[in-house]
Amino acid sequence: MPQLTGNGFAIKRISASSEPSPSIRSGPAYAKLVDISRCIGCKGCEVACKEWNELGIEPTENFGSFQSHRDLTPDTWLLMRFNEVEVGEDVEWLIKKDACLHCAEPGCLYACPAPGAIVQYENGIVDFNQDSCIGCQMCVSGCPFDIPRFNPDTRKVYKCNMCVDRVEAGLEPACVKTCPTNAISWGTKEDMLGLADRKVEGLQARGFGEATVYDPAGVGGTHMMYVVPRGDQLEDYDLPANPTASPGALSALQGLKKLGASTLGLGLLAAGLHYLGFGPQEPEEENTP
Amino acid sequence: MRPAKIQRFTYVERIVHWLVGLSFVFLLLTGLAFSHPRLYWITTLVGGGSTARVLHPWIGVLFSTSFIAMFLIWVRDMKLDAKDRAWLAAIRHYAVHDKERVPPTGKYNGGQKLFFWGMTVFGFLYLLTGIPMWMPEGFFGMGPFYGDAVNASRLVHYLLTVAGGLLLIAHVYLGTIAYPGTLGAMLHGSVTRAWAKLHHPLWHKEQSES
Repeated sequence: MPQLTGNGFAIKRISASSEPSPSIRSGPAYAKLVDISRCIGCKGCEVACKEWNELGIEPTENFGSFQSHRDLTPDTWLLMRFNEVEVGEDVEWLIKKDACLHCAEPGCLYACPAPGAIVQYENGIVDFNQDSCIGCQMCVSGCPFDIPRFNPDTRKVYKCNMCVDRVEAGLEPACVKTCPTNAISWGTKEDMLGLADRKVEGLQARGFGEATVYDPAGVGGTHMMYVVPRGDQLEDYDLPANPTASPGALSALQGLKKLGASTLGLGLLAAGLHYLGFGPQEPEEENTP
Repeated sequence: MRPAKIQRFTYVERIVHWLVGLSFVFLLLTGLAFSHPRLYWITTLVGGGSTARVLHPWIGVLFSTSFIAMFLIWVRDMKLDAKDRAWLAAIRHYAVHDKERVPPTGKYNGGQKLFFWGMTVFGFLYLLTGIPMWMPEGFFGMGPFYGDAVNASRLVHYLLTVAGGLLLIAHVYLGTIAYPGTLGAMLHGSVTRAWAKLHHPLWHKEQSES
């Protein structure tokens, strides 16, 4: 088993591991809460993410949107998506902070065949460990939110790591730190759920009757949650209404992963037993002319 | 004077067979390594997980192309006829070496022919389901395949691997220790007359007459 992490976090799950979690400690789970109604679209979080994680600057172009780039890349772990949607008479920006949601039931981790390439900590962070990544990209197909991005040069996959190094030092993630309107909050998952409820109540009092918290149960809840003003239009925010950690084929694969080796083992055994029972069939000695 | 041995496979047939066979073994082992954490150590044999991930699809290309060559060489001989159906109906006698009750066969018996057709179908499906996993970002204008296409391919690829692996075990067992003299047909190309008479009497007759 390669070195899993450089930090002292207790581990909850390790990709492609038959061993139980080695952790004997438990601690609070943390969460980011993104209040979309407070976002002013400054994209300071994008810059802070690039700076802290030392990710390369990528040129962009004007494609008729307020959005900085078209899509996430191996070097862009956070992208503010400005979905322009007609709401009644008006056009509104239904903004999505597009980055890893750090699912409690991580589809990427379940899909990963490389031991230790994806690690989930007790504090809720799901981290990619590129040392162990083999570049198969199964995580990309396992992710219900289309977050991980493959770099064909390094043949590794990358995504937001919740500034795991900052969190280890007791700091909030860089995007939280930099947000000028406190649209992004950081704290224990419990506290953030409480805060989210208060924010939703406030929004509902202000006329956003459908306001809701996005913490989807299909992935066991997430450690980046959203307060969504128009909760009846999740798809317009580019938020899947019912994401699942293991789509049918993947959960079947999980259930059947012991089938292969055991079936082939039984096949070898059957051949051995046949040989012991019936032996080789030797041709008779050549005695005909 | 008749030669003591009969040629069963030509030089080209043997080369093509071993390209298919050895590449299949490589694919089976590296594939199993990806299928369960307890088997991941197998990747060490080929240089680690990343190397295994890079090599597996390329060895798959070698497998597919050599399989196509093998198919073209052997397909003429692999048509199932009445003799093969009679043989297959008596397969339980064959399995217990009760040779008196096994109908005589030509160059290939019904089981060998079914193995050929089974692997042909599997080989095609390995390729079909392998491509989305090889290049999920897109393959010559097709794709991207991320999501359900990759996940479903992965499941089908895996189940077919288990089935193909079982066929391989049977094939290697029957071709080596179960029937001494068989392996030589694939190594130096020839078999003894006694072997031919025992396993493929009609083919032996044909060869003796010509």
